[in-house]
Amino acid sequence: MDRTAVINKLTGIFRKVFEDNSLVLTDEMTANDVEQWVSLTHMLLITEIETDFAITLKLKDLNKMHTVGDMINIILSKFETQ
Amino acid sequence: MIFTSFNFLLFFPATVIIYYLTPVKFRWLTLLFASYFFYICTKPVFALLLAGVTLSTYIFTRLIDSTSIERRKKLLMQINVCLILFPLFFFKYFSGINYAILVFLESIHVRLDLPDIKLILPIGISFYTFMAIGYTVDVYNEKIRSEKNLGMVALFISFFPLVLSGPIERAKNMLPQFNAIKPANYEMIVQGLKLMLWGYFMKLVVADRLGIYIDAVYGHVSQHNGTSLLFASILYPFQEYADFGGYSIIAIGTANVLGINVIQNFKRPFFATSMSEFWRRWHISLISWLTDYVFTPLSFTFRKYKTWGIVIALMITFFLSGLWHGPALTFIVWGLIQGILLSIEALTNRKRAGFEKKHNLNRKGWYIFAGICVTFILFSASEVIDRATSINEAYHVFHRIIATRGTLFIGTPSTLIFSGIGLTMLLLKDFFDEFLPSRMLLFGSKHKFVRIMAYSSIIILILLIGVFDGGQFIYFQF
Amino acid sequence: MIKKIILNIALVGIVVFVLDFAIGRTLRYFYFRESSGLHFRSTYAMEQTRADILVFGSSPAVHHYIPELFESTLNMTFYNTGRDGNGAFYQLAVLKSVLKRYKPKIIIFDWSDTFKKDVSSYDRISSLLPYYRTHPEIRDIIEYKSKFEKVKLLSEIYPFNSEVFTIAIGNLNVNKQRKPDNKGFVALYKEWQCKINAIIPNPKYPVDTLKVNSFREFIVLAKEAGVKVFVIYSPMFLKFNRFQEFDICSKVCAEQKVPIWDCSRDTVFLKNNRLFQDIGHLNYKGAVIFSKQILEKIKTENQVKTPTL
Repeated sequence: MDRTAVINKLTGIFRKVFEDNSLVLTDEMTANDVEQWVSLTHMLLITEIETDFAITLKLKDLNKMHTVGDMINIILSKFETQ
Repeated sequence: MIFTSFNFLLFFPATVIIYYLTPVKFRWLTLLFASYFFYICTKPVFALLLAGVTLSTYIFTRLIDSTSIERRKKLLMQINVCLILFPLFFFKYFSGINYAILVFLESIHVRLDLPDIKLILPIGISFYTFMAIGYTVDVYNEKIRSEKNLGMVALFISFFPLVLSGPIERAKNMLPQFNAIKPANYEMIVQGLKLMLWGYFMKLVVADRLGIYIDAVYGHVSQHNGTSLLFASILYPFQEYADFGGYSIIAIGTANVLGINVIQNFKRPFFATSMSEFWRRWHISLISWLTDYVFTPLSFTFRKYKTWGIVIALMITFFLSGLWHGPALTFIVWGLIQGILLSIEALTNRKRAGFEKKHNLNRKGWYIFAGICVTFILFSASEVIDRATSINEAYHVFHRIIATRGTLFIGTPSTLIFSGIGLTMLLLKDFFDEFLPSRMLLFGSKHKFVRIMAYSSIIILILLIGVFDGGQFIYFQF
Repeated sequence: MIKKIILNIALVGIVVFVLDFAIGRTLRYFYFRESSGLHFRSTYAMEQTRADILVFGSSPAVHHYIPELFESTLNMTFYNTGRDGNGAFYQLAVLKSVLKRYKPKIIIFDWSDTFKKDVSSYDRISSLLPYYRTHPEIRDIIEYKSKFEKVKLLSEIYPFNSEVFTIAIGNLNVNKQRKPDNKGFVALYKEWQCKINAIIPNPKYPVDTLKVNSFREFIVLAKEAGVKVFVIYSPMFLKFNRFQEFDICSKVCAEQKVPIWDCSRDTVFLKNNRLFQDIGHLNYKGAVIFSKQILEKIKTENQVKTPTL
């Protein structure tokens, strides 16, 4: 999977979880930029990502996810190891 | 020494002067000496425990970084966490567990003479233990490299503005600052002094004055009618905010004067429109600590249960939050209630968000106001349990509020009048900060005359109606 | 930059000093102009009264001794210097201020304080703060409050902290009706409805030697001035034993050869809740009976001391 495909798929996931079809992802985007993205909904996002991308994330991966850009890199890295 | 003692008013300026006279390179040492001096003045023998927790954390974090074997790293992290949690459990929960064991044995008619040990809680243990645990886990998670300098780790854990009652800070924020102390920054010093002044106002004028009335009512529950109990219950969250919030602001201001940035601990909590939002504005440092080190790992573990996984994680997190307050059933029940309220919000989140969006409610003034009121009612009702000395007494209070009426207990009129003045000023300031941040600037005015008069007026007000005797900070024995 | 900070702090300091001085002096003026209420009674006791009989103590003292009975029976003038919530330190301070001006004939020392070490006894010394400046004889007592009290008293407002409202009300005529007093005596009129309770005596507590010394100094000073002192434990609607306190109290009284009367076990009162407003205070009915009892005791004491031939 290449970066663009990941971004597209991720955008779909974000829009679904946060019920906002106008969401546009950027590398620098963080939880502060999305009203619904709080600790209570974060794990729903993670589960969707794992299901849709068919990957398994570790807690250490979560700790490294500070921005959407980090998220994309980590997802890509999962494909590299597979 | 507590911030509101005269001793601190002598200690602090002396420390600041010595600090800024010290060459920049060695200022961290001045802070370290000042911090241990501060702690020893409060309780000498427990400084050994503080040092012990520090040494253990230093050794284990260095060991974690020295190995690349994941399993070994994890084990080292877990051992240190257990080691430094042990004193906290022992001092805080031993007598509670002891009592629970005795009660259980009595219920099965077994008589055993367990010693009734009354333990004094080492001051600040609940706060610095959490800071040390956070640092250990952060090193394990590779969020930060372990600090080579033992003195720096000692400073991080014992830093005097934070050691007694927080805010609970993270190594990632503090260690880089201690390692690269900058020369004096005028704006930061002034900001720190302003914060300290406002914190003293909150604590001495609002919190301690409200406390006089609330203690009088809650101290004799069976002698007061429902009207007085209701009024005291409404005032109690404000007392807590002014007390703990005020104390946190003094702590942050103190650190700022020394050129150190510290996390905000309260963010105008009474303007929250939901309990979830409330817990992002109240005791922020504790909740964010619990989120990062308890809630996130738990909700990650239970993530396959989706929203129910979040509910389980919430209940456990807030159970622990309640327990952190003390080994009493009231605190545990209080924690569980917070967990339940947040779980209900989490479970209904999508539906509510959809409903709000459909009717564009989030921009409507009346809807925001209703949200603020409902959140306040929920929180203050849960605080009745926190304030009561037992579940029985809490039930008593609720019962009397519903069943009995009568004239409001006034006590001395001055108490309520002065409380009213202080509380109105506090809420007005928060209101402007929340909704109209650039209006009504007094401490932040462009005009020097306005600023000087504002600072002087607050000092005079503290002299006129601040409470100087017998006032104790609620979170103190933590 | 250091200059800027110091200059600004100094500027604030000057403004605070000026405001503190102006407001503090205004409060002082109106405090001493009060014509009724607690502040007035303290000032009157310390600076004006010349009564032959003085009562000292805390709240029982204020509510238990009826002026007219004492005046008519003993044919002497009477004033009650008692003040609610104020213990040994306040009582000693008032005595020192009184003895500086004149020597009363009789002092009734209604003792209800404990000798226990507790912070609130020192907090209550704030009642004396307004008198620090003009009463050098009581400064050492006021300084018991805390080691920094001298520094705090540099502020003109500090002695009147939390008293703004009370000072304002005390200057109004309407306060005389709100809280009437009769030569320092305040009558209570409610009746206690509950049954008597019993308290199991507490284990021994750590004794505050400063309090014991203040109690002793009170009696010594009064005796040296030639005053007849009677130490009294007022009735309470409670069954309990003040073992430790009574021990200390009676030792000091025996040492100073001063009579001590324990009326807290008198069954006249213990069996009758209607003589009390609450468990610590007699109402007017109870005060009449109690005052008469004390008067009888005083008369007997006087006859024993000066037998008629």
